[in-house]
Amino acid sequence: MNIDTLIIAVAGLFAVASSVGVLLTKDNFYAALYMSVTMLFVAAIYAAFNIQPVVVIIALIFVGAVGIVTVAIAATYRARVSRKVNIFWVVPVIVVFAILAFAYTSLAVESIEVVNPGVFAAVATDYFFVIAFLFALVVLMMLSAIKLARRVDL
Amino acid sequence: MIGPDISNLAVILITSGAILLVAYLTAISAKDVIRLLISLELMFAAVFLAIIPLFSINPPMAYAVAIITAFTSSTELLVLVTAIILLDRRKKGIGVDKVAVGGDSL
Repeated sequence: MNIDTLIIAVAGLFAVASSVGVLLTKDNFYAALYMSVTMLFVAAIYAAFNIQPVVVIIALIFVGAVGIVTVAIAATYRARVSRKVNIFWVVPVIVVFAILAFAYTSLAVESIEVVNPGVFAAVATDYFFVIAFLFALVVLMMLSAIKLARRVDL
Repeated sequence: MIGPDISNLAVILITSGAILLVAYLTAISAKDVIRLLISLELMFAAVFLAIIPLFSINPPMAYAVAIITAFTSSTELLVLVTAIILLDRRKKGIGVDKVAVGGDSL
């Protein structure tokens, strides 16, 4: 394991630890904060690969918009106690993770080499209709959500 | 060389799998829809990690998939926030036990 892989592994370890914090904390507010920290560590892994556009997307959209809205909603409804995790669900999850880890360490032996990192500028032209349709989807969903929220009486 | 001989691809995929499994556990142990929303965001984080190997094969497609994931996550947040508002108005609470069945009532 070289130093780059070690940095990625440490960031991944912290990301998994933060996600376990989401599972174990009883307060929704802290769960949302742990979720934002997990996103930041995922962005750190992208930064380790020098894929800066995705770092910006994660930091601005996931942490800056989605994460903050989730934190705000969780702070509003924070007085809830999380249900305890059933031990019968933890066991199969650990078994599945062990199988995944064994398969990945034995089969995924190639290293990731990010090629052509400056190609992000071409995405807006190559995938123009995809992005246009996604904008249309978000606007349509927003209008539907407003209509639904206004139709239900208080 | 430091530690065990393991590729960065395996590290990325193991981390992604671990976050996804923790998100599944959070989802099945969620008592309210807010925790469900948080677990879904964790699943998107795992998806974001799983995209990284695509950057070594086809970077434009990887960027496009990353953008689609970001848009999908934002739309999912929008829908779930609306669902939380509607659930709170109709059922006076956001617990998942308030929704016994899905779909319209007959």
